[in-house]
Amino acid sequence: MENTDIEILLVEDNRSDAELTIRALNKGKLANSIVHLQNGALAIDFLFGQKEFAQRDTNNKPKVILLDLKMPKVDGLEVLKTIKSNDHTKKIPVVILTSSKENPDIEKAYALGANSYIVKPVDFDGFAKAITDLGFYWLLLNQNPF
Amino acid sequence: MKQNMTIVPGHFGREPFFSINAVGNIIGVNLAAEKVLGKVLSELNDCYFKTLFTEPKKAEEMLHRAITEGAISNFQLSFVAEKGENKKNFVLSAFCFADAGKQQKTIFAIASLPETEEDRFKKILKEIADYKYALDESSIVAITDQKGTITYVNDNFCTISKYHRSQLIGQDHRIINSGYHPKAFIRNLWVTIANGKIWRGELKNKAKDGSYYWVDTTIVPFLNSESKPYKYLAIRADITSRKAVEENLEMSLKETSDYKYALDESSIVAITDQKGSIKYANYNFCKISKFSYEELIGKDHRIINSGHHPKEFIRNLWITIANGKIWRGELKNKAKDGSFYWVDTTIIPFLDENGKPYQYVAIRADITQRKQAEEEIIILNEELEKRVKERTEEIESFSYSVSHDLRGPLRAVNGYAKILEEDYNSVLDAEGKRLLNEIQYNALKMGVLIDDLLAFARLGRKEVQGSKIDMNKLTATAIRDINQTTDHHAQIKISKLLSVKADHALLEHVMNNLISNAIKYSSKKENPVVVIKSKRGNRELIYSVSDNGVGFEMEYQHKLFGVFQRLHSADDFPGTGVGLAIAQRIIKKHNGKIWAEGKPGEGATFYFSLPETI
Repeated sequence: MENTDIEILLVEDNRSDAELTIRALNKGKLANSIVHLQNGALAIDFLFGQKEFAQRDTNNKPKVILLDLKMPKVDGLEVLKTIKSNDHTKKIPVVILTSSKENPDIEKAYALGANSYIVKPVDFDGFAKAITDLGFYWLLLNQNPF
Repeated sequence: MKQNMTIVPGHFGREPFFSINAVGNIIGVNLAAEKVLGKVLSELNDCYFKTLFTEPKKAEEMLHRAITEGAISNFQLSFVAEKGENKKNFVLSAFCFADAGKQQKTIFAIASLPETEEDRFKKILKEIADYKYALDESSIVAITDQKGTITYVNDNFCTISKYHRSQLIGQDHRIINSGYHPKAFIRNLWVTIANGKIWRGELKNKAKDGSYYWVDTTIVPFLNSESKPYKYLAIRADITSRKAVEENLEMSLKETSDYKYALDESSIVAITDQKGSIKYANYNFCKISKFSYEELIGKDHRIINSGHHPKEFIRNLWITIANGKIWRGELKNKAKDGSFYWVDTTIIPFLDENGKPYQYVAIRADITQRKQAEEEIIILNEELEKRVKERTEEIESFSYSVSHDLRGPLRAVNGYAKILEEDYNSVLDAEGKRLLNEIQYNALKMGVLIDDLLAFARLGRKEVQGSKIDMNKLTATAIRDINQTTDHHAQIKISKLLSVKADHALLEHVMNNLISNAIKYSSKKENPVVVIKSKRGNRELIYSVSDNGVGFEMEYQHKLFGVFQRLHSADDFPGTGVGLAIAQRIIKKHNGKIWAEGKPGEGATFYFSLPETI
């Protein structure tokens, strides 16, 4: 995995949501390489080559990060803050995943430098479409990011 | 010469009269002169005038001076005569008369007898009579004998006392006694005059008709040879009107002191000079401030300053009163023992003739209890508001996270059902597919419910932003939005709508909801009609949306606006039952009302009113 280009990093603690998201992304044939991490702490370790990811080449950066806001321990906003305040990672586009557009954390996320957000609708078709549309947009925009 | 005689006036006058030519010869006399001299004119004509007198030189001098000075008087001369009587001590006056050409000068001399004792006596009597007349005319005069019995009253006395003269003569002064003066006062009067001294004073008398009058009185005793009074002359002047003014003044003074008493009894009073130094403090002031009178006098009001009021407030107070204006307000003061008290205060500046305040009178009322109650209410209200806010926030964040977290499992149910549908389509029979469909339908419906619940919870947080709204435009926008999302065939009639001040986004939500409902519940009619109107009520604007749809029974109208309350099944008319609850919440936030009228099968009208702000 370390030798392939990572296209999408999905940070999502909800097992079902993760599975559905990955299914939607695969169905849209968008990403050849998706990394799924279950929480924010792991995401930071992954991006900065810490702890269990100490051997990882941190220059192999994902083209887009899909970040769930509500996670135990280190939540999405903290991960976002770390990513956007570090020169090494701040240029990676971050798309926020949220259950509702009413979430006040969306505004905070934008203030911290999030590039976009996706509301995870109850309706699976809508969810899949939103994921593929937005993922497609950012992947296209980041053809040769680095 | 004859013609000169004709100009002698008073030829028959009482006093001897002579005409004399420039040389000193008599050229004419009157009868009185003939009588005094015992001679007739023919005997006197051409005689030297001076030869008629015992002192001819003095007579000559008189003539001479009459010629040179024109007129001369007071020459006392005695006639020389054999037969006449009363010849002595005549007082002569003479004047010179020149004819037009000043050729002829004629001297006229008149001799009058000197004043006799009788003359002088008569003159004095006349003078006295004049004085008496003047006195009678100007004053109220009465004369009594030594016992006080009235022997004389003048017209003025009768006029003021309203008695006839005959009713007064023989009476004593008790007839006009008002009873006003103390006995000692009257006794003193009598003692004075009985001792031959003049009494002066002001007396209140009673007239015949019972009315009172005041007289400034001087009583002069007339003394006999033994210096005992034998009668009294009372001279009075009417001072009733002056007394009335004085009495009024006295009454006002008494009233003023009554007011001061009442004020002192009822209020907290202090007087300060223009620098604010305390000159007077009443009992109540001492009582509430717990300072003694001595501790307060000379101090300024800083002695009771609580420090509660901002400097600006105190400065404003001083500016107001220093400009001669009355200040009113509520002040918190500190008593000697450090306790606080509140006083409702009015400070009145007293102005000098230049309009500058020279002292301030502060009248206060103790409002400590009221203020304490007010403060308690304010604290309680703040506490309550804080608690309500906390609770509201708690409830909102709770309902938010509940709805938020409910979506996850729902999404999973729906998502896995979808996977099942996609990946295992060939394995499922028709009933299996129908059941899968039901699962997805219900999951989606629950999603809508959660969305609506979230929207309802969000309203609690939202502040109402007021702006002038053109309701015609707002309604047009709402209808356009509805037309984009809903397929309907209703005819929508809109009257010209009144503009109102309200929150644009929220009101658009209400309009959208009411019109959507009207379209939804009339959709099964052949010719659905929706009518939108407005009218002006009592200081409010009322908007209405009517339809000719299924309507409702009035007994259920209270259920219309409840959350998740519905009068129709979702199978007949889709919906979650949150829309009207939201509309009601919005209208209530605008201090308005929302209500509905309906009849089953005939239609419904939804009204909402908003306050008409000017």
